[in-house]
Amino acid sequence: MEPDTPKRRLQHQRREEQAAEEQQSAQGRAALQFDSVEELLRYDAAQTAPPPAIAERLQGSLRAEPAPKRSWWQRLFKKAAR
Amino acid sequence: MHSPVVSDEPVRAAGTDSLQAEPAESGKWQALYEQHSRYVYYLALRMVGDAALAEDITHDVFLKAYAGLDRFRGQASLRTWLYRITINHCHNVQRAWQRRNIITTGDAQTWDTVAANTDSPLRVLEIKELGQRIQRTLDALPDEYKLLLLLVADENLSYQEVASLTEQSADAVRGKLHRARRAFAVEFQKQG
Repeated sequence: MEPDTPKRRLQHQRREEQAAEEQQSAQGRAALQFDSVEELLRYDAAQTAPPPAIAERLQGSLRAEPAPKRSWWQRLFKKAAR
Repeated sequence: MHSPVVSDEPVRAAGTDSLQAEPAESGKWQALYEQHSRYVYYLALRMVGDAALAEDITHDVFLKAYAGLDRFRGQASLRTWLYRITINHCHNVQRAWQRRNIITTGDAQTWDTVAANTDSPLRVLEIKELGQRIQRTLDALPDEYKLLLLLVADENLSYQEVASLTEQSADAVRGKLHRARRAFAVEFQKQG
């Protein structure tokens, strides 16, 4: 067995760093295959979430809106029930 | 693939617009937003190609939906109605932008002459920048093709609903869709 010299420790450290870099690179380059444009777009859509800020902003805007004469949900469900 | 329907009646299948369900009042708005906001935001994002603008559009669409329920006659699904508001809003934003900038979008005739094998699968190696690549690809297509592809990608919409949203017949949608897919495939490979 070879003695544990500073040079050997450095080589070992470099090998570990190289392995980590390769692993990181492989993760970023995972191959995907889509049978159609629609499938690709659906995948893209699933990865794209609306920013949470929209919901917060909307809550604020709705509070400032004049209330509908009757709850729009009540009207919606009434129409749907017809 | 979608199965074409002849009626414009609302789609109320389980998991889509379950209008019969009536949770607590405050929860209804949240449920509507959670069910549809992802689709509205994605359509807006890919139509205008700008995250901040898409955020504004999504906000405005739901605000308009809240204020304009009187115009929702239940003849279409809630998703279709929200998409119609989104498309109109995106067109307004795009028109305002085009007035200030010179734009060069591809026209359909150019793409019609391009040969491509649309049966080949689309292969993606670099996932990290996939969204940007898709955006660049869509931006290179005529607006009509872009919108058709984005709408047809939503499995909740029938060809009839896509036809209604794009103001043409379902047969015209099928014909143009074939060309739109081909154009996308060619451009997507170029952008890779």
